[in-house]
Amino acid sequence: MGAEFLKVEGLSKSFAVARGGPPLVVFDEVNFAIEKGEFVCIIGHSGCGKSTILNILAGLDEASGGVVIMDGREVAGPSLDRGVVFQGHALMPWLTARKNVEFAVRSRWPDARRATIDEICDRYLTMVGLAGAADKKPAELSGGMKQRVGIARAFSISPKMLLLDEPFGALDALTRGVIQDELLKICAATGQTVFMITHDVDEAILLADKIMLMSNGPGARIAEIVVNTLPRDRSRHTIHKDPQYYAIRNHLVDFLVSRSKVFTEQPPAGFDPLHPPLVTPGLPAAETRLALGAHR
Amino acid sequence: MSGFKNPYDPNIKLSSGCGCGGHSTQAEHDAAAESARFDSGSEALQSRVVESAVMRALFPQDELRRRFLRAVGAGTALSAISTFFPLGMAKEAFAQVGKLEKQSVKIGFIPITCATPIIMSLPMGFYSRQGLNVDVVKTAGWAVIRDKTLNKEYDAAHMLSPMPLAISLGAGSNPIPYVVPAIENINGQAITLSVKHKDKRDPKQWKGFKFAVPFDYSMHNYLLRYYLAEHGLDPDRDVQIRSVPPPEMVANLRADNIDGFLAPDPVNQRAVYDGVGFIHMLTKEMWEGHPCCAFAASKEFITNNPNTYRALLRAIVDATAFAAKPENRKQIAEAIAPANFLNQPVTVVEQVLTGSYADGLGNVLKVPNRIDFDPFPWNSFAVWIMTQMKRWGQIKGNIDYAKVAREVFLATDAAKMMKEAGLKPPATTSKKFSVMGKEFDPAKPDDYIASFAIKRA
Amino acid sequence: MQRSGRLAATLLSFVIFALFVAVWHVATLPTGGAPVADSEYSKLVGSAAASGQKSAMPSPKDVALKLWEHVKDPFFVRGTNDQGIGIQIAYSIGRVLLGFSLAALVAIPLGFVIGMSPLLYRAFDPFIQVLKPISPLAWMPLALFTIKDSATSSIFVIFICSLWPMLINTAFGVSAVRREWLNVARTLEVSPLRKAFLVVLPAAAPTIMTGMRISVGIAWLVIVAAEMLVGGTGIGYFVWNEWNNLSISNILCAILLIGLVGMLLDQILARLACAVSYPE
Repeated sequence: MGAEFLKVEGLSKSFAVARGGPPLVVFDEVNFAIEKGEFVCIIGHSGCGKSTILNILAGLDEASGGVVIMDGREVAGPSLDRGVVFQGHALMPWLTARKNVEFAVRSRWPDARRATIDEICDRYLTMVGLAGAADKKPAELSGGMKQRVGIARAFSISPKMLLLDEPFGALDALTRGVIQDELLKICAATGQTVFMITHDVDEAILLADKIMLMSNGPGARIAEIVVNTLPRDRSRHTIHKDPQYYAIRNHLVDFLVSRSKVFTEQPPAGFDPLHPPLVTPGLPAAETRLALGAHR
Repeated sequence: MSGFKNPYDPNIKLSSGCGCGGHSTQAEHDAAAESARFDSGSEALQSRVVESAVMRALFPQDELRRRFLRAVGAGTALSAISTFFPLGMAKEAFAQVGKLEKQSVKIGFIPITCATPIIMSLPMGFYSRQGLNVDVVKTAGWAVIRDKTLNKEYDAAHMLSPMPLAISLGAGSNPIPYVVPAIENINGQAITLSVKHKDKRDPKQWKGFKFAVPFDYSMHNYLLRYYLAEHGLDPDRDVQIRSVPPPEMVANLRADNIDGFLAPDPVNQRAVYDGVGFIHMLTKEMWEGHPCCAFAASKEFITNNPNTYRALLRAIVDATAFAAKPENRKQIAEAIAPANFLNQPVTVVEQVLTGSYADGLGNVLKVPNRIDFDPFPWNSFAVWIMTQMKRWGQIKGNIDYAKVAREVFLATDAAKMMKEAGLKPPATTSKKFSVMGKEFDPAKPDDYIASFAIKRA
Repeated sequence: MQRSGRLAATLLSFVIFALFVAVWHVATLPTGGAPVADSEYSKLVGSAAASGQKSAMPSPKDVALKLWEHVKDPFFVRGTNDQGIGIQIAYSIGRVLLGFSLAALVAIPLGFVIGMSPLLYRAFDPFIQVLKPISPLAWMPLALFTIKDSATSSIFVIFICSLWPMLINTAFGVSAVRREWLNVARTLEVSPLRKAFLVVLPAAAPTIMTGMRISVGIAWLVIVAAEMLVGGTGIGYFVWNEWNNLSISNILCAILLIGLVGMLLDQILARLACAVSYPE
């Protein structure tokens, strides 16, 4: 794969808590990179600053230190280059599904002709399977449908990168599965670069190429980056039959349940925040180096 | 009035005080006069005024003029007089003087019978007879009428006669020179008590009563205070006196919020009509011929619009003269009672104006001058009002009573108009009078104030 | 089920109304008193006083007849001070709409600016808090004194009383627009003007409409009082004029009509509010 598309260097965020007191450091020395076409998930407990990192990437929030460089340019403020799917669907309830998408399309191409805009809206609404419900207002749509509109909206502006902030958190398991499949399909088809926050280990394994594990805050760090060595044409129905699946899953769960707590205070020997270790729990130890080589 | 009669008509008396006296019914005459006026327009009207004046000058005795006209005929008389008296020129001169600076005039009034001359002049044609197009506008209260006049929304207004004095002196507002060219009415007020006090006719029994008057700067306030003080009650300590707009008075009496009021009519009569009060006494029993309300305007208005002012004053003086005649009162009552003006049952207004009224105790009384009309703004009235303002602490310091009275109560102007209207104005502008048997000498106001036992000054 | 429920409610409304009228009728039945024997005297006083009573509340029939009289001929002009009830109501509505529209023209843009800027919000807040609770009628003498025109003054009073609810609601509505919608706009690099009209305005519209609805209600309450104070024309003047005449029937008619017009104004704005509201 190509060179580093997005590079995050020494990112930190801190808040002044009390006057004169030491600031609260949410996370510190966060370094990672995303390649073009890569799907990256970030997993961590609440309060570790995942959403803040995403907001900084989106340009909605400012870092206390460090830089984000995308496509060779430093990120300063929001941009149409990065589409965001928000945690709540963030649809404008006074607009129909189509109008919500249209709002984004018009923002992207203010001078486009009506027909062009309609065509783009149709394309993305069809892509998320909502062609039939295009003229309904968000209140008339189910939670899953709303989130699909949000995804269509984010895709419709053809961003260089897509940022998803725990997009399926509020959906029931069945709906979530269906949309995950769709997202996987769309990303495979469009080669979209994605950065996504999730709490759901299975979701991460299904969708992501790399899974970044964040230790608990305050002073959170990226503890390690898990490379998903499952074949890319995986699907929700067959994934659990792959032997790698449980290895990866156990590794993630183990981190979330036990290691994430102690990591911040007692980082393992040799831990270098500039280069968080890449791990491949899905592969037998012997194959690890090989796999790593392939990914690098 | 007589100025508008055809002076060449031998059947008309010109020199009578008010020409109307010579007619079988006034209504007939007025209707005829009004239609004639509309037909001939104001120019013809003015010609007639001039011709009248000339004829009057030539034949001071009416009988002589009539005989002359009968002998030679109206046409001959006119041409004969024209030959030796330049009638055309005289007419022109009058027309020039009479050119109105402002033809459309707005006058504010409070719906009480004190406003009779101001109101009746509209339906009965006194304004239009002067070539004026007047709109009389009903107004909610004294403070509003003051503000609207100060704002120049109204050109002139119906005010309580102490108000222009208070405005000119700057009591309760910024001092603005105001004038009273004519008094609207004399007498016409009464003390009304709640029916539950039927047996308490002696003011000494009134300790603790709550009274209402229409405004702080009103004859009502001063007369009630005077009356109470003469009976040994301190109006500030022994009773409560509140300022209540006339429309609210009967409602408050009904609701037992007040025990009585000294109010303008028709409020008193309305309390009787509605069975909530009885008339304890008419104010004329305290002071026969006391002034009440005034026709007022700002000094600015009369200076900038001298002819309009004169025409207005003439209309008011004429109307006042007409209203002074008891035989006209019934007709006036019908003209001013409708919703557009007083908005009261005709019988209530009629009882006030004719003086045959129910007193609320089962008696029908006949007091023909219960309300009367005399436009002359006696300067001594103004002085008396100021002594009371001072007595009750509304104004402080030294006042040049005579000067303020002269500047605000325009007795000379009124005298001139009265003369023109054929009335006999008094020779002086000040007179002595007595209030509840106590003589008032306008030359010694401070001694008068000092003579009261109960006072705030 | 729903239909029959509505029918029952309507029926119950009628029963309540009938009951109210019946109680009113019974309460205003004339009671026996000692009639005044003197016929000359009784001619001079009202019918109640003639039968030895205070004048009573009018009966429902009196009021109904009076109302019919007004409704039959609402637009007569018999003089400056005596015009039909329809004309008076039209004057009042005209004043309310004028003052209210002027207030909306000021309050909504100003509220928008204040709502968008936390700094201005805090800077304006003390003034709004002090000015808001002032009874609009308290402005009347000041308005008469400075504006020097009673018609403009009453419109000013309407203006000032409708201003605050709209200003406060607009500022609040604008400042409370959900962050995520603003974030959507930010990530889409929407221009400030486009954001104001396409995101903030529709988002805050229901709150703004609520403010407008409160305002028009207050304006209608105040116009009656203002017209009673200043006089001249309008339904408030009508009430005052009939109070002057102690005509309770006329006042009751006016009260009924004031209520109906107030309801109508409220309903119109409720419809508008419905049109801009959105379920979430």
